Amino acid sequence: MKAKKVLSFISLLLIMAIALTACGENKQSTLNDQPEQSEETPAGGSETSQGAPAQILKYATDSEPIGLDPHTITAAASIRIFRQIYNTLVDVDDNMNFIPELAESWKQPDDLTYIFKLKEGVKFHNGREMVAEDVKYSFERVLDPEVAAIGKSYYDMIDTMEVVDNYTIKFTLKEPFAPFLTNLTSLYGAIVPKEVIEENGNLMQVACGTGPFKLKEWIPDNKIILEKNPDYYEEGLPKLDGIEYYVMTDESSRIAAIRTGNVHLIKLPASSISLLEGNKDVVIKPYQSNEYSFLGFNLDLDKFKDVRVRQAISYAVNRQEIIDLVYDGEATVTGFVTPAMGRWAIDYANEDLYKQNIEKAKQLMAEAGYPDGFETKIAVGLYDDIRATGEILQKQLEQIGIKATIENLESGQYVDAWSNRTHEMMAGRNGAGTDPNRAVAFFFSTTGSANVWGYSNPEVDALCNEGKVTVNESEREEIYKDAQERVLNDCPNIFMASPMEYFFVRANIEGFEPSTFNAEKFENIVIK
Amino acid sequence: MRSYIIRRLLALIPVLIGISLCIFLILQLIPGDVISGLLGIEENPELRAQLEKKFGLDQPLFKQYWDWISKVLRGDFGRSFRTDKEIFPEIMSRFKITAQLTFMAAFISCLIGIPLGILSALKRNTWIDGIIRVIALLGVSVPGFASATLLILFLSLAFQYYSPVGYVGFFENPSINMQIMILPSIILGTSMSGSVMRMTRSSVLEILRQDFIKTIRAKGAPEKVIIFKHALKNGLIPIITLVGMQIGSLLGGAVVTEQIFSIPGLGLMTLTAINQRDYPVIQGCVLFIAFIYVMINLLVDILYTYVDPRITYK
Repeated sequence: MKAKKVLSFISLLLIMAIALTACGENKQSTLNDQPEQSEETPAGGSETSQGAPAQILKYATDSEPIGLDPHTITAAASIRIFRQIYNTLVDVDDNMNFIPELAESWKQPDDLTYIFKLKEGVKFHNGREMVAEDVKYSFERVLDPEVAAIGKSYYDMIDTMEVVDNYTIKFTLKEPFAPFLTNLTSLYGAIVPKEVIEENGNLMQVACGTGPFKLKEWIPDNKIILEKNPDYYEEGLPKLDGIEYYVMTDESSRIAAIRTGNVHLIKLPASSISLLEGNKDVVIKPYQSNEYSFLGFNLDLDKFKDVRVRQAISYAVNRQEIIDLVYDGEATVTGFVTPAMGRWAIDYANEDLYKQNIEKAKQLMAEAGYPDGFETKIAVGLYDDIRATGEILQKQLEQIGIKATIENLESGQYVDAWSNRTHEMMAGRNGAGTDPNRAVAFFFSTTGSANVWGYSNPEVDALCNEGKVTVNESEREEIYKDAQERVLNDCPNIFMASPMEYFFVRANIEGFEPSTFNAEKFENIVIK
Repeated sequence: MRSYIIRRLLALIPVLIGISLCIFLILQLIPGDVISGLLGIEENPELRAQLEKKFGLDQPLFKQYWDWISKVLRGDFGRSFRTDKEIFPEIMSRFKITAQLTFMAAFISCLIGIPLGILSALKRNTWIDGIIRVIALLGVSVPGFASATLLILFLSLAFQYYSPVGYVGFFENPSINMQIMILPSIILGTSMSGSVMRMTRSSVLEILRQDFIKTIRAKGAPEKVIIFKHALKNGLIPIITLVGMQIGSLLGGAVVTEQIFSIPGLGLMTLTAINQRDYPVIQGCVLFIAFIYVMINLLVDILYTYVDPRITYK
C-alpha cells in the first residue's frame, strides 16, 4: 500500500516536470528574428507603450562584474557595464581625437589651466541636473586616499579645482601634464552624484550616472539588466530599450546561445570563429584591439640581466608564426605602443630585432656566456591565446638552446607572480591605453606601477618626464618614438602580437560597429 | 534518539571550528590575494596599503581569524571584499538554487538507477545485465563536463535548442525554471545513476541470496512482492547511504555543471570567490557547505531507523 503511494507520488512529480518542460518549449525566451515570437519572451520581452516589442539587447558575457564603482574597479567585466552608465568630461573618437562628452567645450589658456564648459541640462539617473559642483566632487573623491581610487595617479597633478559657475569648472595643475585630457577620457574620472554615494557609502552595488543606460537590476552570477535612460542628453539615443547581460562562463554555452538566438551578442577569440562561420544568422564583427602580447623577463636573474640574452631571444622569436598559429593570422606585429595608436607607434615590422635570425641569436648567446643555452620557465595564464603563445615560444627558444618549461598558472597565482616577480619569464597580454605616456611610463619607467620586471633605463625615464610636460604634439611624438626605440633595444619584454577581437552578432542587429576605442557602443543598435 | 541527535549536533561544533581554522589558514597559503586581484596591473604600494587597512588585512593573523569567527558566531558572515554584498543572505539565495538542482538530479538518478539496478540483479549474467552494467560504468566514468558540453552542442546543432538564458526562480516562472534546470539535472542525475545502479544491483543480489527470501518464496509470495517489499526494502540501506552522500556533496555545489549551464548556485559562487580570492566569501561558503554535509549525514543516519526498525540510536 505504502509503496503504491510512494510510486504514484513519484510518477506525479515526474509528469509535472515533463509537462512543465513541454509547456515551456514554445514559450522559451529565444530571440527569434520574427517580432511576433519575440513578443513572447518572458525573460526580457516586456512591451513598450506603443505595443511594439521592446528593443532589449541580450549580451552573453564571460565573467561576472566585481562591483560597479567606476572609481575603484579595474575589472573588464565591470567596466563593460558601467561604461554604459557613466560619462566622462571628454572622450576620444576612433582616430584618437578628443571629442566632447559631458564637457561641451574646453579652453587651455596656459599649460597649467584647463577650463571646461559643461553641457547644460544633462541629468543624472536620479533626475537631478549634473553641474560643475559634481565634477569637482567626483575628482575630489578620486583623489581622496580613503577611497583608494584606482585612478588617483591619473589625476594627482591636479592642484585646484574652481567652480566658476554652474556650468564652468577650472582645473589648475601642479605642473604641465600633456596626457591630462587623455586621462580625463578614462572612466576612472567618471562624473558621479554626491548624494548617491553619501546614501550608499560607495557605488559598488548601486549606480547612478548620466549615461545612455541605467542600472535596473544586478543578480550575481546571473544577469545585469540595464534600461534606457529616457533623459539621455543625446537626442534620440539610445535606440534600445535596454540591455541584458548574461554571465555565461562556459564558451560552448555562449556559442550555443548565439547559435539558437537566445542571445544577440557574444565575444569570442579568433580560434572559435570556425565554429560559427557560415551560419547565416550570425554576423562576425572584427575590430583591432589595443592590446599586445609580450614575454617579460625577471631582470633580477643573472641570465636575463644581460641585454644580449634578451636580444638573442628577440631574434629567436618568429612573431609571424605566433600570429599564424595562435590567431589564425588575424593579428598585427606590435610593440608596446600598438598599431591601433596610429601616429604614436613606430614601424615595428621593420625593426631588425623583429626579424628572426637564429645565427645572430646563437652568437649573442655565446657572447653572453651561454653557448649551450640554459634552462628556464615561462609562466602563462589568464588567457588561452597566451597559453598557446607560451607553447610556441617554448619550441622557438629551443633553437638557441633555451629549454623552457611552461608554468600554467591559475589567475590568482598568475597575478601573484606578476606583482611579486617570482617568475623567470612570463607571457601575458597588456592594454596600451590611449596615450603613449601610459604605454611607456606606466610599464617601463623605473617607477612605473606596472614595471614589474625590474627594468630601469635613466634615458627612458628622462624621456617619459619630458613627454609628460611637453604639450606640443609633434615634439611629444618624437620623444615617445625615441623612448620606444630605446625600450625595444633593451628588450625588457619581447613584444609579439596585437590581436583582432571578435563580436558575434545575430543578423537582425543593426547599427553596431565596434572599433578599437569604442568597442561597446550600443546606443545606435536597432533590433530588426 | 533525541539524545543521540543532540550529541551529534554538539559534535558539530568542534568539526566546524576545525574546518574554519583549516580554511582560514589554507587561504593564507595559496598564492595571490584579493588586493592584487582587485588592482590588477594598477597595483602600487600606496593603494595596497589603503586597501589592506580597509579590509583589515594589516592585522595579525590570529586577530583577523578572531574578528571573523566571533562575527560568524553571532550569525554575521560579513561582507564580500569585492562586491561589498552581505555574504549570508547571498549564500542562502544561492543554496536554494543548488538544492533544487541537487534534488532534481537525485530524483533522476534514483529513477534511472534503482529500476535498472533491480533489473540487472534479476537478470544477472544475461545480456540485459551486461548492457546495464556497461551503461552504469559509462555513467560513473564519463565526466560531467564532457557529457554536458556534448549535450549542449548536440541540442543546439540538431534542434536549434538551448535552454533560456538567465536563471529564473521556480516560483517566479516554473516553466522557464524547469527548462533551465532540466539539462543540468539530467547530466548530474545520469552520472550519479551509474553508482546507484551498481549499488542497487549488488545490494539486491545479496538480499536475494538470503534464507528469508527462500522462505518467502516457499510460502508462495508473488515475485513482485518478494522484490519490492522484501529484497528492495532490505537492500535500501546502502543505497540511501550512497544517495545521501551524493546529495551531500552536490549541495556543496556542483561546480562544473553550474558553471557550464550558468546556474548561479553555491558552487558557482564559491568558484567565483576562489578565483577572486574573496576570503570572507570563500570562508563563509566552505563553512556553510561543511555544515550542510554533516547535517545530511545526520539525516541519513536518522532515516535508517525508518527504513530498518532494527536500527536504534541511544
